[in-house]
Amino acid sequence: MLVYLYDGSFSGLLTVIYESYYRREKPELIIVQDKWEHALFTREVVIKTDEQKADKVYQAILTRISGFAAKNIYCVFLAELPGTERLIYDYLARGWKWGDKLDLHLADEVVLKVQTIARKVRNEAHRMLGLVRFRLLSQELYYAQIEPDYNILQMISPHFARRMADQNWIIHDLKREMAAVYNQTEWFLTPLPRSVSVSLDEAGLAYESLWQKYFSSIAIKSRQNKRLQRNFMPKKYWKHLVEMMEDN
Amino acid sequence: MELLKKLEILANAAKYDVSCSSSGSTRKNKAGGIGNSYFGGICHSWSEDGRCISLLKILLTNYCIYNCAYCINRASNDIPRAYFTPDEVAELTINFYRRNYIEGLFLSSAVITSPNHTMELLTETVRKLRTNYNFNGYIHLKAIPGADLELIKEAGKLVDRMSVNIELPSATGLKLLAPQKTQETILKPMAYINSQIQEHREDRKSRRRAPHFIPAGQTTQLIVGATPDNDLNILRLSEKLYQSYQLKRVYYSAYVPVNQHPKLPSISQPPLLREHRLYQADWLLRYYGFKAGELLDESQPNFDPELDPKTDWALRNLHFFPVEINRADYETLLRVPGIGVRSAQRIIRARRVRAVTFENLKQFGVVMKRAQYFITCQGKYEGQTSLEDKLLRQYLIAKPRSSQLLLPRPYEQLSLFTDNSGVVPTEVLMSNLTGEL
Repeated sequence: MLVYLYDGSFSGLLTVIYESYYRREKPELIIVQDKWEHALFTREVVIKTDEQKADKVYQAILTRISGFAAKNIYCVFLAELPGTERLIYDYLARGWKWGDKLDLHLADEVVLKVQTIARKVRNEAHRMLGLVRFRLLSQELYYAQIEPDYNILQMISPHFARRMADQNWIIHDLKREMAAVYNQTEWFLTPLPRSVSVSLDEAGLAYESLWQKYFSSIAIKSRQNKRLQRNFMPKKYWKHLVEMMEDN
Repeated sequence: MELLKKLEILANAAKYDVSCSSSGSTRKNKAGGIGNSYFGGICHSWSEDGRCISLLKILLTNYCIYNCAYCINRASNDIPRAYFTPDEVAELTINFYRRNYIEGLFLSSAVITSPNHTMELLTETVRKLRTNYNFNGYIHLKAIPGADLELIKEAGKLVDRMSVNIELPSATGLKLLAPQKTQETILKPMAYINSQIQEHREDRKSRRRAPHFIPAGQTTQLIVGATPDNDLNILRLSEKLYQSYQLKRVYYSAYVPVNQHPKLPSISQPPLLREHRLYQADWLLRYYGFKAGELLDESQPNFDPELDPKTDWALRNLHFFPVEINRADYETLLRVPGIGVRSAQRIIRARRVRAVTFENLKQFGVVMKRAQYFITCQGKYEGQTSLEDKLLRQYLIAKPRSSQLLLPRPYEQLSLFTDNSGVVPTEVLMSNLTGEL
């Protein structure tokens, strides 16, 4: 069995695609090097990430397939599900064959799966645009914690950089121990441990109480429908929502 | 009065206005400013009634000079009253916005002193937000019926969306329940706003820097179940509003019995299922190419509680079916029960490269439970029974779910006008628009 090992980055995965093409090999498994445990009867090839090769593959996707396909594989990559590397590989293999008609092949198992996963990732990213909750820390810094299913931090950060342009903010993905940091000029990603301690601004807490009061006042009692509420806003997100904290 | 108490009172007073979407605007942030709008709209939370919260929805005040029978804020109600200062509204909006609780502000008001005075207060508040606080997020403002059109125009330059609520779908209902309002005062600002929107849109075609005017358009709300208007009247009214006033949305609000009044129906629960059917039909008007007259007519003026409007239409138009999935055009596909906008688009795309099978349809999100009776795939029919079956309707009736909405609760009958003048004719408000009487 042929196994390709890469460093877990998106460029690394694109390099895998490049190498596989020029070596005329088809890896049966593509996996992050750290996660791989040596097994018998396998031939392992470590693929070294090469930005130039990755860029060539990316350009080829744009010109020979479509921008939509490029976005799809990025979303699927961010889903971080087991086996997505091979799924992306198979999707692109079809893409080289079918060109810009790739995404019309909705009846194809691989294409459908890619689109389904990509949609889930986009949906969660969109949902997070609404569900991120900043809390005011001392020193005029707004800080939010999230624990999304997919690695959507880099998808949502540009939105907040445009919108909250005149405030310093941090969005902290506790699951992945990464943070997007914005300093009123630009945003960047940086590792940040889960256990980081923060001190909330005392005066800022008043607005959290106001929001809780607003939240409970706006519901119409005779229309209560908590199931519908949970459908739109699943419980897994409640932990970081100021308005739902009491219900936890 | 402390801010917390005020917020409670004035959010409570605003909650019966159901519109809360934050879509349709492309306002950008400015240098040094805060906020922008997101064209598709963003929901930030969902309250216990399952409705999306996207804007801070409050009244400036609930002191009202009017005494409309259906309204919780009517002058004769003994309820706590409060008013916000413009700065309080601005501070709340900005601080909620910075924490990403909201997309922006939905500001309305009871009528205090006079319509003009109220409109001026509202405009002053949003102007403060835009200029002093440099806020570029979404603002939805109520236009107060009876206010000078010039005042409405001033406000329109500052906000993203405006709405004038019709509330009662017929002139007679208005006379009965809100005698201090007339339909003319409601329709005049609506027509004016529409003409201004069209004018500014034309301007922007020739001059890209021409100012925006209510870029996200205007909406309105109709209360369902406070008057004896039937679904046909309500739907015709909506259709007319979409056509003549280019409204972005008509919202339907199941009447919540907040007041006791001899002229109001005494119902125990808001007619949620009826509201749901009207929303389904509204979507059919806006996205599926249906006309009000196709969905309902004089012989059947109300929606079937057991079937959605499209399935109901299909059962009355069996000659239209079965539809061949691989050949029918988009408009025809949309008319099949169980096929929505998304699944129709997927079918159209997928069949360009390969014939679509029944198996595929499930993957595309088609609800086969309903669609199976109305379609063929490559000439094959796989419905559990045939179109000719007299029992087809029984097959199609959804099994009741435990969800609140679908509990088999028949419409509350509106036989409850206790005084004898209660036989209200139901010419719709629209008849005055079209000139037909």
